[in-house]
Amino acid sequence: MASLKLGIALLILIIILAIIGTLIPQEQGPEFYREHLPGSYGLIRFLDLDHLYRSPLFLSLVFLFLLNLLSCSLQQLPARFRRLRIRDEKILASGRQPSDKRDRSQLERWLERDPLRLVALFREKGYRVQTDSEENEKLFLARKGRPGLFGPELVHLGLIIIIVGGLISAIFSQRVSLALTEGQVEKIPGQTFSLRLDRFTTEYYADGSVKDWKSLVSVLENGQLRLQKTIEVNHPLKYGHLHFFLMGYGQDWDRAEVELEISGPGVQTRTVNLRVGEAEEPGTGIRVEVLNFLPDFGVKAGGQPFSRSTEPLNPAALVEISEGGRQVFLGWVFPPPQVASHYQRSSRPELKVSLKSFRAPAFSVLEASSDPGANLVWSGSVLLILGLLASFYLPYREVRIYQRTGHPPLYLVYARKNREDFQKEVDGLLILTGRRESKDGKDE
Amino acid sequence: MNEFSLLLLAFIAYLLAMLTGFISYLRAAGRWRKISYYLGLVGFILHSLSLILRTIQGRQAPFTTMYESVSFLAWSCVLAVIIFDRKFRLEKIAPYLWLVVVALMALASSPALPKSFNPLVPALQSYWLWLHVSVTLLGEAFLAVAFVASLLYLLSPERKDGGPDYEARREKLDRVAYRAVAVGFPLFTLGALVFGMIWASQAWGRYWGWDPKEVWSLITWLFYALYLHTRLVYGWKGRKSALIAVLGFLAALFTFFGVNYFLSGLHSYA
Repeated sequence: MASLKLGIALLILIIILAIIGTLIPQEQGPEFYREHLPGSYGLIRFLDLDHLYRSPLFLSLVFLFLLNLLSCSLQQLPARFRRLRIRDEKILASGRQPSDKRDRSQLERWLERDPLRLVALFREKGYRVQTDSEENEKLFLARKGRPGLFGPELVHLGLIIIIVGGLISAIFSQRVSLALTEGQVEKIPGQTFSLRLDRFTTEYYADGSVKDWKSLVSVLENGQLRLQKTIEVNHPLKYGHLHFFLMGYGQDWDRAEVELEISGPGVQTRTVNLRVGEAEEPGTGIRVEVLNFLPDFGVKAGGQPFSRSTEPLNPAALVEISEGGRQVFLGWVFPPPQVASHYQRSSRPELKVSLKSFRAPAFSVLEASSDPGANLVWSGSVLLILGLLASFYLPYREVRIYQRTGHPPLYLVYARKNREDFQKEVDGLLILTGRRESKDGKDE
Repeated sequence: MNEFSLLLLAFIAYLLAMLTGFISYLRAAGRWRKISYYLGLVGFILHSLSLILRTIQGRQAPFTTMYESVSFLAWSCVLAVIIFDRKFRLEKIAPYLWLVVVALMALASSPALPKSFNPLVPALQSYWLWLHVSVTLLGEAFLAVAFVASLLYLLSPERKDGGPDYEARREKLDRVAYRAVAVGFPLFTLGALVFGMIWASQAWGRYWGWDPKEVWSLITWLFYALYLHTRLVYGWKGRKSALIAVLGFLAALFTFFGVNYFLSGLHSYA
């Protein structure tokens, strides 16, 4: 059975947990929490607060909330549909007999002598009016804002669909990352087509900041070009049931090309262009090989070189030079004027090697995504907004007057919101004193 | 006349609207309230011109930096005040609403918020920027009206000897708060949640990522859902209702300011 108290309690619990989830950094490794939150580490791991939004605790609350919403909507809907009927015994039975004799007479007058004026009075106020007259009874029904009658149920239905869509997305959505350099073709896993990055460009503003990244890609299927499109942030490519988004970019430093300058007394200054892993014999019996390249050279505590970042902040190339088959130089070379002889081993100290320039092919990081829950979320969102608009701006209002021959008239005023104000308004319209026995004004 | 001169004049007009509004408490209430209203209207026109100029000069939406967002939020609050004053005659509430506007304008003018144009990063180059941010801030402006009305309600104690006028004023505060939430909540739902999800889906390939900005927007939404349910179904009015409305707006403020400065995430633009 639906319970509003349960619904409110669940809302409060979800609010509290959601706040906690923003205060504890999510999806970090155990070392992070041991280091930064040592006192709470046990609790965090026990309650899965490190991945709170996909934890059993949080998901159970959301699921309970979903069930409660569903139950509430199913409970309310029959009553809503009953309201649409002009003659419903249960609703008519809930009508009140005015306690004031003058009001009873006034209602009888409306039904007997001035029915047309009664109809016109409500029509002027924008009500749709229906009357029903049989041998022994008369019925008058005026109402407006029919969409508003179902407003809250539409909101709840929208929320239910959104939550279901979200659960489907969480379980069934798939994302695959692809890093493509220009000219590279990559088969998409599970699909019959491939993607080729034709061109990756970066556009800049006048102040040097990035304006846009563009990846011109081709979709190839069975050796045929099916589609060519430029992917940018906010402009994904859709092919089949997959969307491809531009998520990042970088430079493939493992395929860097470096320009080295080798000089020294007795050595003709020469410039050598090599890719990482390549070697060249530029003449006079020497062989130059580039073994590695680091864009942001650093050294770990144990003396092991590594790259501190992917940005070319402190570029260095590991170069080996041999002469007559014998190694004469091995070390990291940097752009001038930096000379780091402590990272070099040379039997010919007069040899000077410097990194004149470097470049690396750019790669574009695309993400292929399929999300079967997304369309449900969009549908739910539309219902949610329509439901809110109907609830707030098309409030349902209803007035029923019913009399059986020989009985006093019954009078029923119904509104989902602002009932007291509406009651006063209708009493004024019908010229009633408004005195009546008090009754529980809650919705059925 | 540049955008900053217009903004300064608007600020002065709002300040005078606030002062004349408070003067109306002391004497010739009707006349001073009218002056306050028209000063606010003049400020609104000047502020609108300032925003239009900024849009033309920057060739982008006037709410991409914190300075621009705070200025636009102030403008939206003025719009909300003007609409509600015409419809409900805000009387005692209006000067406090002008106080909020003046505070926002002072914050926007402060050196802490750089005024320079920032060219749009690729992620913000979308028409969803216009829809998502403007509708969200408009919604929050009406929630700000509810916040002020609710706060005034909480600060005016129940008085057995207060008389019918006093009780009527308290009831009006409660009613204005509800009506403001009735406008602000659908706008906030549409702008912050629905438009936000659509844009996130287009930019990042997922409509919801549980990043702090998204979660705090949801928390704000849940507070107002709580407000409406307790009010409409339980019949809660008065203090309990006002307290939830105040907490909801504090959540909205944290979503707008707090998340940017205290919690990091993908969403950290303005």
